[in-house]
Amino acid sequence: MTDFPGLLRALRKEKVRFIVVGGAAATAHGSARLTLDLDVVYSRTPENRRRLAAAIAPLAPALRGAPESLPFVWDERTIRSGLNFSLSTSLGALDLLGEVAGGGRYQNLGNDTETIHVFGVDCLCVNLDALIRLKRAAGRRKDLETIAELEAIREEREKTGLR
Amino acid sequence: MVPVPDASPLPPAKVDRLVEELKKDVDRTLIRENLKLTVEERLVQLMRLQEFAEELRRAGRATFGR
Repeated sequence: MTDFPGLLRALRKEKVRFIVVGGAAATAHGSARLTLDLDVVYSRTPENRRRLAAAIAPLAPALRGAPESLPFVWDERTIRSGLNFSLSTSLGALDLLGEVAGGGRYQNLGNDTETIHVFGVDCLCVNLDALIRLKRAAGRRKDLETIAELEAIREEREKTGLR
Repeated sequence: MVPVPDASPLPPAKVDRLVEELKKDVDRTLIRENLKLTVEERLVQLMRLQEFAEELRRAGRATFGR
C-alpha cells in the first residue's frame, strides 16, 4: 500500500516544492480508478534538489524495477544528473518527475494548481483541466480511459455543483 | 513474433474520437459518490482499495501458486 500521508508529510517536512499529478491527483478530483504510486512534479532548483534529497533519504529509496546489485546513491548529485525517478521507498512507490508527460515542468504548472489540505498538510495539486490537458498532450494509448473518466468528472461537477 | 505495441503519440483528433467512445462506459454513479467525499476521504478510500487489491493478489498466489 502507498502511504500517501507519510509521503506527503515527508516532502512537506523538508519544504520540498512539488505538485501532485497523475493517478493520486485524479483520485483527489474524484476518480474511482486504482493507482499504486504517488506521482509528483518537483522544482529543479538547486535548493529544492537538496530538500528533495533530504526528504527521501530516510525512506530507503531504490530504483523501482532495477536489479538489487545496481549501485544507487540517493543524493542531490543523483537528482541533478537525472530527471524522472521511479522509486520504491519504505512508504510505497513514489515517482519524482522533473517533467511530466505532456510537457509540464514545475514552473510551467504554477497557474494550473490548487492547494489541497490533506492529512494535516497543505499540498499543491494539478487542477482537473490541466490534468486532462497534460494527458491529452501526451497522446498515450494507456491514458485514454483515464481521460474519459476525468472528462466525465468535469461534466458531473458542472451538473451537480460538487467538487 | 510478438507484436511491439505502438508507442507513438496518438493524433489529437483520434484521441477526441476514442475518448468520446470511452466516456459512454464510465460509471458515473461512482464519480457522483466520490464527489460527495472530501479529498482526504478519497485518498483514504484509494489506500483501502490498494489493500484490497493486494489481498486479492495474495489469495491468487496462494490458490494458483504463482
